[in-house]
Amino acid sequence: MVSRGQSAVLLWIALALFGLVAAVLPDDAQALPAFARKYNMNCTACHTAPPILNTFGQRFLENGYQLPGTEDGGITGKKKLGDLTLDDVNNYVSFRMVGNAVSNWNFKQQNPPGTDAGVAVNKTEFTFPESFTMFTGGTLTKNVGFMVELGYDTSTGSANVERGFVSFNNLLGHDVAHVRVGRFDVGAFYSYTTVRQQLNDVGESLAGTGPNGAACGSGTFNPCTINRMGLTPSALATKFFGLYDRTGNYLSPYASSLFNSGGEMGIDVHGRPFGDWFLYQVGVLNGANEPTGDSNKGKDVYGMVRFDYAKSRDFSASLSGFVYLGHSNAKVQTQDDVNWNRYGVSGRATYKMVDVYAAFAVDKINKTPTGVAGQFDSTATGLTVGVDTYVTSKTMVSLRYDNLDAGGMINERQSSSFVGTQVKHFLRNNIAVFVRNDFNLRKADTGSTAAQNLRNAFFSGIDVIF
Amino acid sequence: MRFWITVCIGAVALLGGIGIDGAFAVKPEDNRATREKGKRIYERSCIFCHGSEGKGDGPAGWYLGRYEAPRPRDFTTESFKFRSTASGELPTDQDLFRTVTQGIPGYMPSFAGLNEEERWQVVSYIKTFNPSFKEEKPQPLPLPLPPGPPTDAGIEHGRKLYMKYGCHSCHGDNGYGDGSESLKGNLKDSRGLTISARNLTERESLKNGSTPRDIYRSVMTGLDGTPMPSFADSFAGKEKDAWDLIYYILSLSQDRR
Repeated sequence: MVSRGQSAVLLWIALALFGLVAAVLPDDAQALPAFARKYNMNCTACHTAPPILNTFGQRFLENGYQLPGTEDGGITGKKKLGDLTLDDVNNYVSFRMVGNAVSNWNFKQQNPPGTDAGVAVNKTEFTFPESFTMFTGGTLTKNVGFMVELGYDTSTGSANVERGFVSFNNLLGHDVAHVRVGRFDVGAFYSYTTVRQQLNDVGESLAGTGPNGAACGSGTFNPCTINRMGLTPSALATKFFGLYDRTGNYLSPYASSLFNSGGEMGIDVHGRPFGDWFLYQVGVLNGANEPTGDSNKGKDVYGMVRFDYAKSRDFSASLSGFVYLGHSNAKVQTQDDVNWNRYGVSGRATYKMVDVYAAFAVDKINKTPTGVAGQFDSTATGLTVGVDTYVTSKTMVSLRYDNLDAGGMINERQSSSFVGTQVKHFLRNNIAVFVRNDFNLRKADTGSTAAQNLRNAFFSGIDVIF
Repeated sequence: MRFWITVCIGAVALLGGIGIDGAFAVKPEDNRATREKGKRIYERSCIFCHGSEGKGDGPAGWYLGRYEAPRPRDFTTESFKFRSTASGELPTDQDLFRTVTQGIPGYMPSFAGLNEEERWQVVSYIKTFNPSFKEEKPQPLPLPLPPGPPTDAGIEHGRKLYMKYGCHSCHGDNGYGDGSESLKGNLKDSRGLTISARNLTERESLKNGSTPRDIYRSVMTGLDGTPMPSFADSFAGKEKDAWDLIYYILSLSQDRR
């Protein structure tokens, strides 16, 4: 346990380290990740600020990791198998380490008191790196792309294939249809993308037991007490309290899900058959919370359209809307299946160094099971609005507002509103240090829920891509 | 060691001299159909940085240098960096084709993934942004072959020329791009943005190409719109001096391999 005074000291140490690292490291950009190495390009050719893509990077992604307007098959840097050297591996493999080196959580009180022994009013942790990711991607040949992303979460100790897919591009004509098969991030082409944010997701802290003291977890269909809420974009989040996956695991209301999940298994088709101004995307998935082999469950389907303006005057804008229809993609406490759907819109505009975005989503549970009738709010909404802007060539300031009007079990749900602020300094294009603070707009001194008793959260961290 | 460095420079110079000088192709007829096809490709591949009117104001362009240089080329002005023509003149079609084909290290990818016909179509369309292309017929400066392999004495002479012509004030005494003018932030491009002098020890990062003839071309034509001037007048009738300087610049990177 760390006292309040010790916490303050640690925070000052973190800030001092931030300043020291920013001051002593050289500021030129030489070490670049795989795609940049392959094409001999600077990261900022494709990114406004890694990992967020600019319009050129978005079209590169849509085109199956081929330059926009081409079917190059990654011709730059392409070699015959026998000619490959170890250096060439650099052109296909990249790593990312990201996390909060120091986290400080300020609670007014615990919920319920005593469930998390050791958690005090102030809690400070050293944690970097929270996430370590290895990804390899590129083109196998003309119009055949691939991506494999392996992630290791140091907080849970689990490793996963976050994404792994093959894409077949430019079918039926240039930009008419691109097909992805495998495990992919469904919302990759949405105006506000789940896996590309400046303010990293921070997971919630679960007590391991429910309010009644019973264990929660696989097969229990018992809600977990949330000691500390997560900090994720509300528009992308699950939003419901009291939903479970098909094995009875409690679903975090703060985790990104459905169309906005980090990776789902299925088939996706997208393209711009009428020109750059319009993108379509349709797909079918095994669906959220689908354990392998659960073949009796129906599939989830989705469709998205996006309108773009990206021509001149240093300005671009896009507007997107999607419908995601789930089929038995979650359960409630009574173990009844529900169809969980989402409808969303988002927009993004960039002008010179300013990047503004917003996303709103409505989640609906079709046909609330009779076992929870009257106890379950079948509608939830999430709003996320934010802005990122460079204030110097190397320093970016971000501001994000989130509002979650939660749904689900009425006696469990906890709506929340947060403002996140962050200053990120790019020592090189691929190495950044940041400080961040999230303010709870619904905090209450007498708050008895995680959404109220978390008063403030401070982070200082590092984001390295190489 | 010095001997082998000299041999390596000579081999590179020879290869550069015998035609590995960028992609050359037979140019198709520049007519309306060609330009229309070029426009379609431009709007898929180039518009994001160079903008729909070729002013270098595409939405992705600002992020390249942010508040510093470079920004994407504004095709509507007379200021083109990568030319084989005299300073102040427009580039030749072949110059534009070479840039599209080779790209610019760090800032523009090679579009060799487009076939040669498509690249020529784009060149035809790019020229429509600037009416001067209709009026002027830019001619390249002579680009001679190296007079012979480098010698220690020639490289040493090149070093003296490097100092005499003030290359060190921007590129630094040892070519690291750390000259006093660069470090003070005094170097500005035509948009008034701070620009850094190139690190000559990293040859692969040279924007106008890294072969000996590429470097010769950069020295003789200058890079319009940047503080890098043309040295064509300084080396008029002194071809050997020019090559001594090129060999010295090459040695800056060879020494560090």
